[in-house]
Amino acid sequence: MKKEAAGIKTQKTKNLILGKDPFDLLFYMVTAVAALAVLAITIGIFFILVRESYPAIKKFGVFGFIFAKDWDPYREIFGAATNLFGTAVTTCLSLVIAIPVAIGIAIFVTEIAPDFLKGPIGGAIELLAAIPSIIYGLWGFFTLAPIMANHVEPLLMDTLGKLPLIGPLFQGTPMGIDMLTASVILSIMIIPFTASIARDSFNLTPELVKESAYAVGATRWEVVKNVVIPYSRLGIFGGVALSLGRALGETMAVAFVLGNNHQITTSLFDAAATITVTLANEFTEASSKMYTASLFYLALLLFVLSFIILAVAKFFLVRYQKKYPGEQ
Amino acid sequence: MNLDMQIKGLNFYYGGRHMALQNINLDIYKNTVTALIGPSGCGKTTLLRCFNRMHDLYPGNKYEGEIIFQNRNILSKETDLIDLRSRIGMVFQKPTPFPMTIFDNVAYGLRLRGIRKKSVLSEKVELALKQSAIWDEVKDKLHQSAYALSGGQQQRLVIARALAVEPEALLFDEPTSALDPISTAKIEELIDGLKENVTIIIVTHNLQQAARISEWTGFLMLGELVEFDRTEKIFTVPKEKLTEDYVTGRFG
Amino acid sequence: MKREQKRKLQSVVALTLSMLAALFGIFWLVFILGSVLVHGARALNASFFLNDPTPPGVTGGGMRNAFVGQLLITLFATIMGVPVGILGGTFLAEYARGKRLSHYVSMLADIMVTVPTIVVGTFIYAIMVKPLGHFSGWAGAVALAVIMIPVVLRTTENMLTLVPWTLREAAFALGAPYYKVIIQVVYRGAITGIFTGVLLSIARVAGETAPLLFTSFNNSFFSGNMNGPIASLTVTIFQYAMGPYDDWHQQAWAAALVITFAILLVTIVGRMVIKLRYGKK
Repeated sequence: MKKEAAGIKTQKTKNLILGKDPFDLLFYMVTAVAALAVLAITIGIFFILVRESYPAIKKFGVFGFIFAKDWDPYREIFGAATNLFGTAVTTCLSLVIAIPVAIGIAIFVTEIAPDFLKGPIGGAIELLAAIPSIIYGLWGFFTLAPIMANHVEPLLMDTLGKLPLIGPLFQGTPMGIDMLTASVILSIMIIPFTASIARDSFNLTPELVKESAYAVGATRWEVVKNVVIPYSRLGIFGGVALSLGRALGETMAVAFVLGNNHQITTSLFDAAATITVTLANEFTEASSKMYTASLFYLALLLFVLSFIILAVAKFFLVRYQKKYPGEQ
Repeated sequence: MNLDMQIKGLNFYYGGRHMALQNINLDIYKNTVTALIGPSGCGKTTLLRCFNRMHDLYPGNKYEGEIIFQNRNILSKETDLIDLRSRIGMVFQKPTPFPMTIFDNVAYGLRLRGIRKKSVLSEKVELALKQSAIWDEVKDKLHQSAYALSGGQQQRLVIARALAVEPEALLFDEPTSALDPISTAKIEELIDGLKENVTIIIVTHNLQQAARISEWTGFLMLGELVEFDRTEKIFTVPKEKLTEDYVTGRFG
Repeated sequence: MKREQKRKLQSVVALTLSMLAALFGIFWLVFILGSVLVHGARALNASFFLNDPTPPGVTGGGMRNAFVGQLLITLFATIMGVPVGILGGTFLAEYARGKRLSHYVSMLADIMVTVPTIVVGTFIYAIMVKPLGHFSGWAGAVALAVIMIPVVLRTTENMLTLVPWTLREAAFALGAPYYKVIIQVVYRGAITGIFTGVLLSIARVAGETAPLLFTSFNNSFFSGNMNGPIASLTVTIFQYAMGPYDDWHQQAWAAALVITFAILLVTIVGRMVIKLRYGKK
């Protein structure tokens, strides 16, 4: 306002984008359209899935679908509860296994390993993430499942299975084709994601703050526990949420070893079905309109669920990076 | 005057080869403030970090010579670093509050030493906060995050954290370089009051600051201790030409 | 002093546990790769690459059809997905740099990178397979392209952001229009990174199975026709592993060996290039 009063005119700087050359505008438009493709795909997936599942949405409603246990192609009555149960159990259990291991790996790689080992070990763990999920499935089916059935599960049955409260989780017939095996495979798959995000977060802890904890006489573990981990909390949350999103949508690694049995049980030694496994096994075989629509409905649930979880993960990670922008 | 620390023939190497300190000989007296000055990269911070063996956090560094503290060579293999660091505290260039409340920050070192009793903790925390002249500013928000404080307050909080464990010596590594003049004045005043209880060694790039607060001053250049003497002598009648050039601002 | 010892012991125990965690991770890597190698090597021979499958139950035969199908699907997915990803990344890093739109689209792309790929499969089924009335290689390629786009877009964006702004200013100072600055200067500065990123994204989609199940489906015969169902290594592994024949299981392992080591090779080389070019991290 002062400037105007003084009679000074402001001149906006020239826009770099729209020069005189017509190709400038053309290139701008082409890249803009390409960038918006991501938006179009996201919205497209949502609308198409809603459209395709519409008959099922109309017939079963939202809660009527989510909480119904029936999955009966013959009578054409469908509910997502068994699938959601399988997804929830395998995802949670895999996180329970993976999180401590991943954080341990991150601690080792950032705080303990000698420099010459940091790169190779971090890299090797990250290679786990590059192995295609079908390979996990194949390996899980032919190699891990028999080991689980013959050694691990009988052992668990004789030890943890005897305990009160958690005992029922480890009782039943140790077949190897069950939720426990699926969760173990899933946990191996998500360890590298959680570990690499935890590692990156740990690395953002300012060296000076760590040193000042050493300077009050803290041990290495005390520095990690009291300074590094609290400092990286948001980052770790984000990493865990991201892994949750991964585990939720994983198909092939669990398709082999879960048994695809629509049931809700108390034992981890029972077969189950997740949303992804149901889709993989039944989608091409669905014979009726309502069956197909219900499968699309499952896909829609999975899409919305993982979208929300991944958005939350992103939110934490972005906030974390804003809070500590790579200070050293 | 009581001797507190004796540095004899100290050499220090980064990464095994690069010699960062060469033949340092220096006496630190009890309950005094000793300032280490010199141009950037002269080794003053490196020397300071030898006193609490901070260099041990990174592999490949090497010490030679002796630093005698309480009749023991702290550079020897047997030194318990955890114990050493709780006797010799340190304050850094930038405030380094931990991600916890103000109270927990100050109580941190005490808790490490196994003090759990609420009454003892609050008493010691209060004392430390009073000693570092920040009690009045934080007494009503002890259970808020330490990040809510201003930079100058954070630095005094960090000093309180170092004081709470009752160290015998405190190392200051350019403690005011990130602060405004008013906060700086408060810290300097504070340091002056602290020497009653602890021995202080301070690295500073601010010559006036060294002149104002220290009794002894050491001038380092290129990893060697050029001159060490009473502060007033260093700033008025230095023996070495190099020292004179530096304190009169001919180079820096 | 007792307390001090306890604290130190605690530290040693905790740090040892973290080392065991790292060993635990590496143990699985070795275990999985070892199994694939041992089982896969048995069925690996020239016939595996050169012959098409024999009728179910008849031993012998190979996976020529699946190799060709996999290559076709991946190739067309790359042709469709990579340009869109690169151009989109260019928009975010150049024209929309620092703008809110750029921030939101990158975030969305990050989410889409991790969205379950089987959902993409159902989506493509609904828009391509159902209207056309049959499975097709094209549908599989589009599904993989959809998965590739956000990956390539984010890599491109990151790599372009690493090109120093002064380089662009220098080109502007010579009077170049922005599109020429981007194509002739910025791309050139980021070419290694973008190329490697593309390679890594190809490695990623080449191992995908779930999005192909209802798009390209499978085909036990040799087919180069992208308009019909076409075999891929990954879907064939799934089918063979679930099947009743030992010979099928062997071939599934062999296919697993080929695909795993091809992907790991590309991934390792790609990461090394990025490390060399862009320093540590």
